[in-house]
Amino acid sequence: MPLGSVVFAFVVGGLIVAITGGNPFAAYQGLMCGGLGIGCANGENSALQISTTIVFFTPLLMTGVAVALPFRAGLFNIGAEGQLLAGSVACTVIGIKFSGLPAPILLPMVLLGGTLAGAIWAGVPGVLKATIGAHEVVTTIMLNYVAQWLVRYLIVGGPLQAANGFSASSPIGAGARLPLFMPNDPGLIIFGLPAGVYRVHTGLLIGLAALVIFAILLWRTSLGYEIRAVGQSQRAARYGGISVARTIIVTMLIAGAFSGLAGAIQIAGVDHNLTDKYFNDTTGFDAIAVALLGLGSAVGILFASILFGALHAGGSVMQADAGISSSLVQILQALILFSIAANFLRLLRLPAFGRRPSAPAPTAPAAALMTEAAKAPPGETT
Amino acid sequence: MSFLADIGHVLLTADLWRATLEAAALLLLPALGGVISERSGVVNIAMEGMMLTGAFFAVVADLALHNPWLAALVGIVAGGLMALIHAVVSIRFRADQIVSGIAINIFAAGLTLFLVQRIYGLQDVGHVGQSELLPYINIPLLDQIPFLGRVLFQQNVVVYAALVLLVLVQLTLFRTRLGLRIRSVGEHPQAADTAGINVYAIRYGAVITSGLLSGLAGAFLAIGISNTFVPNMTDGRGYIALAAMIFGKWTPIGAFIACLIFGLGQAIYDANSVIHVSQYLLSMLPYILTLIVLAGVVGRSIPPAADGIPYAPENE
Repeated sequence: MPLGSVVFAFVVGGLIVAITGGNPFAAYQGLMCGGLGIGCANGENSALQISTTIVFFTPLLMTGVAVALPFRAGLFNIGAEGQLLAGSVACTVIGIKFSGLPAPILLPMVLLGGTLAGAIWAGVPGVLKATIGAHEVVTTIMLNYVAQWLVRYLIVGGPLQAANGFSASSPIGAGARLPLFMPNDPGLIIFGLPAGVYRVHTGLLIGLAALVIFAILLWRTSLGYEIRAVGQSQRAARYGGISVARTIIVTMLIAGAFSGLAGAIQIAGVDHNLTDKYFNDTTGFDAIAVALLGLGSAVGILFASILFGALHAGGSVMQADAGISSSLVQILQALILFSIAANFLRLLRLPAFGRRPSAPAPTAPAAALMTEAAKAPPGETT
Repeated sequence: MSFLADIGHVLLTADLWRATLEAAALLLLPALGGVISERSGVVNIAMEGMMLTGAFFAVVADLALHNPWLAALVGIVAGGLMALIHAVVSIRFRADQIVSGIAINIFAAGLTLFLVQRIYGLQDVGHVGQSELLPYINIPLLDQIPFLGRVLFQQNVVVYAALVLLVLVQLTLFRTRLGLRIRSVGEHPQAADTAGINVYAIRYGAVITSGLLSGLAGAFLAIGISNTFVPNMTDGRGYIALAAMIFGKWTPIGAFIACLIFGLGQAIYDANSVIHVSQYLLSMLPYILTLIVLAGVVGRSIPPAADGIPYAPENE
């Protein structure tokens, strides 16, 4: 199903390009080149493109978990973006305030600060859901916007704006930065370019570790069992002696922690300061597609993250080489979401002409797409 | 204290309240759409994308046809077509309505940006001439009333339309047979089906109506309040409308009151030259207020019972 959704999106996306007078093959060649370093027409450096893709997909590993874990508990966390921004803000504040501290102390501080900020940002919807039943979809959407405006306030005329007049904070201290894999040595040439241009940072290892932790937490701990039980049937979980309210709150706290960590890693590993780039960040929204496409499993999230990282890295090359707007990537992403959610592909498996098509499966809440609970009655899991 | 004095001074001006009503009307249209859609049982978080689509196509049409009325119609239809996608995916295919809504919003943002670059190249979209904008109309005599005349009767034509639609939707939902059907489909579709109501038809109609209303709001934004299309120009207004719908407890009147409160925030934001508080902090207000409402401080806000649950007849 996931592969089919991607194929569906590329076919329809290609049609949209063709209808508007573009060449879909040139567009997709540009995407391939920019994302995977394959088939480059204008002398792009393959290694550089692959490293760009890795930088793009690193945070998705964590935000993907931040959406997938609540899915397992029957919760829809649309707030990964706000949680990520909270993490970025906390990392920036700590990284500037204590910029003199050495890396062994400061780096754990900024990462932990970002993690905590994200957890708090997700904890509010968790508590509201568990105590009075406020729908987490709505509360997390609201908190996304609160976070976005908070970032704008902080760096446009607010307390974090650097004195230079740009919409950006001062850089965080050297000790708050995640090391790059490649040394920044102008004399060292790797794959035809100075080593310093490859921006792959050690946050990648943290992201991969996050996936392992996610898998262990879900399948090898009692908390993971409780999360899955609550996701399948709150009533049954309650009869089984599980505190549903506690499980919901803890699930959201952990999810927010992963998002917040992703936000901290973007500051500590890539940007080193909070800029207006974060106004339009979509990492937390991409995570929804990543979690759904990855069917909520660690391995699935890894591959889906690579796909979306490659699409984002490929978009700019496509725009430069083929003259097709990089916003085609958003269109593809939306088409993938439509296709997964609606399961369009079952149309292809319809019986031959003349027979009544088999009825679509009953209610498919998003959470059910990735749990064995697909047969649970509607409303039970959401 | 000068801050409070500034606020007090601004609150006394008719211009502030005129701007409040205008901002509220812009939010009210998609909020009404959300109320109708969700009352019929289809969760709609896609007003943002439908508005954006309406804004884009209204500008494209106005630049080509030089007629704001036709342009607004194009914007309305474009919003309706976006809603049709949401309807087909979530009603016919019984998809998760939240995922579909997110997909609509991403799709609209991507498609409008993509088309801007296909149609107009990488430059600006271009500006609509002053005479080709949706007009501001002063109601004769009434506009001469001190204070109130400025606030109520010197407004854009879409503001008047929004107020008429508010009354229409409120009466239709709670005083007509159609309204009863919409609400019964949203509360208990099985029972409605048994009573002979076509659940699918009602839901399709309700979702498409939400798109038409959001499309009108987009046209108002692009060729009434502004005079061009800027990528992502709705800037979260569709989500504020969603907040207004919840804040107003899924009633048109309630949503309108919420829109007035949020609109006042917007108007104060626009009067920023007088008030020395960060616009960005003010922009958080609608979202924080809605969180407070959801937290149960002002009584519970409860959605229709079947909201978000696709309908599958028993006999299938």
